[in-house]
Amino acid sequence: MSGGATMFTQQRPVGFGFTLLIVLLYVFLLVPLVTIVGASFTAGLLIEFPPRGFSLQWYREFFARRDLVDGLLLSLRVGAITAIVTTIVATMAALCGQALSGKRSGWFQLGMTLPLLVPELLTAVGLLFFLFKIGLGKTVLGLQMGHILMSFPYAYVSITAALRQVPSSLDEASASLGATHWQTFRMVTLPLIMPGVVMGAIFAFINSFDLYTISLLLKPLGGNTLPLALFDFLTYEFKPTAAAAATISIVLSVIGVALVQRLVGLQRAF
Amino acid sequence: MIKAKHLRLLLGAPAIVLIFVFMILPITNMVEMSFRVPGAVDPFGDDYTLMHYTRVFGDSFYWGVLARSLLTAGGVALLCLIVSFPIAWHLSKASGLKAALLYALIASPLMTGVLVRNFGWMIVTALNGPLNETLIALGIISQPFRLLFTQGLVILALVHVFVPFMVLPINNALRNIPDNLVEASVSMGASRYRVFRDIILPLSFPGIQPGVILVYVLAVAAYVTPALLGGQMVTYMPTMIIAELTGTFRWPLGSALAIMLSLSTILVVGVFTTLTWRLMERVRA
Repeated sequence: MSGGATMFTQQRPVGFGFTLLIVLLYVFLLVPLVTIVGASFTAGLLIEFPPRGFSLQWYREFFARRDLVDGLLLSLRVGAITAIVTTIVATMAALCGQALSGKRSGWFQLGMTLPLLVPELLTAVGLLFFLFKIGLGKTVLGLQMGHILMSFPYAYVSITAALRQVPSSLDEASASLGATHWQTFRMVTLPLIMPGVVMGAIFAFINSFDLYTISLLLKPLGGNTLPLALFDFLTYEFKPTAAAAATISIVLSVIGVALVQRLVGLQRAF
Repeated sequence: MIKAKHLRLLLGAPAIVLIFVFMILPITNMVEMSFRVPGAVDPFGDDYTLMHYTRVFGDSFYWGVLARSLLTAGGVALLCLIVSFPIAWHLSKASGLKAALLYALIASPLMTGVLVRNFGWMIVTALNGPLNETLIALGIISQPFRLLFTQGLVILALVHVFVPFMVLPINNALRNIPDNLVEASVSMGASRYRVFRDIILPLSFPGIQPGVILVYVLAVAAYVTPALLGGQMVTYMPTMIIAELTGTFRWPLGSALAIMLSLSTILVVGVFTTLTWRLMERVRA
């Protein structure tokens, strides 16, 4: 009888078996990431875990490789532009979504999150043909548009959630004091939703940085993003340089998670 | 105030244009492409035909690849559910700093690229990698076994990729179950199993259903994982579609395959939703 209570109520210790299961599941979640970071610091010549000794040689090797560094730079540039553009467009869209009500609001919400709901593969295939048709095939601008599209929903969802926390009475108060719409937005709304806006930018950047399928189909002539360059590298050379490249990408996402945690708390972000 | 509202509606225009021009139009384009004749030099010709559909739907090879993709995704969704439920349960009971830490542990893999995480499994499952060495040390196996380039590793890596997508909705559903409901049934003598079967599982279904659908749809169309970890021997629909588009440049055929995959996914999700409809209705009541 007490066994049933311990299993299902809060604050009481759970069984040893359950704890072990949970620990194993978290190990499963984290083991690939831990192994990569570990393997990147090896002093040996092979990708292995646990690493042999400690060295930064594979990071030196990474920064000496033109193809990988060019990939990193292209990814950073595309990611930064994606973050800026999506955040502006998504803030505007979130303000629009807030003004809608009932069924229309639901449809708008659905439309804005469409790139997240339709598999990336289909969007990528469609965009390959479409960009070819309008003359943007195999250009950085085409790739950029694909990344903006795919990252847009993340920014939209974060900013919409932040906007919901702002009471509409503040808008009305500001308007009754004679502020213009722009002034109300600049001085009242924007400061209040800023954490959500920054979070949206972080999500958009990280999503863009990680995109693979869409980049593969839209990649510009002679240009590779970091994930594309890493895939090619892994197909031909299975060396710890790849672990160093992957670690750089892991570090970026851990910084992102930490920033989101500080800004709004992950619990509210998801 | 009427004017302000119109102004606000106008703010949505750039986003609507973005989604319409770079998503709706391209996907319509793909549908059109699947009816084009093959091109002599270009990836496609000017005239229209049904030949790609008769070819794709008439060839048992394509049906086989489709079946493999649909079944693999089903297995991934089921395994994901089994792995995610305990995590979601544990997470839903945590609060404060512990909850924040657990959210970070679940979100970190989510925010790391799929390629990076798949690469991690290549290291873990290498012949002299940590998995083989641990299993040998524990005496479970005597010889290291090769997991790379097998369907098993593709499934394992896909489960790993999609677990966060399943944990978060189930966690939200579990958090909505009132504690006193569980306590009441326990105090009335319900066994642990009964509480799980009659209360927890049905009430978490509003999280399970969208989680399963989301993971299934994403897994069916996943490209990177089978391309990196599946090797040359096992073909899935996404790898085949991309090979047609970037390797052999048969764009109309690739489009027809993509549409075959989409239609069958919609069919599977539709059947699943219908079958689970009554369960959802019961929970709502």
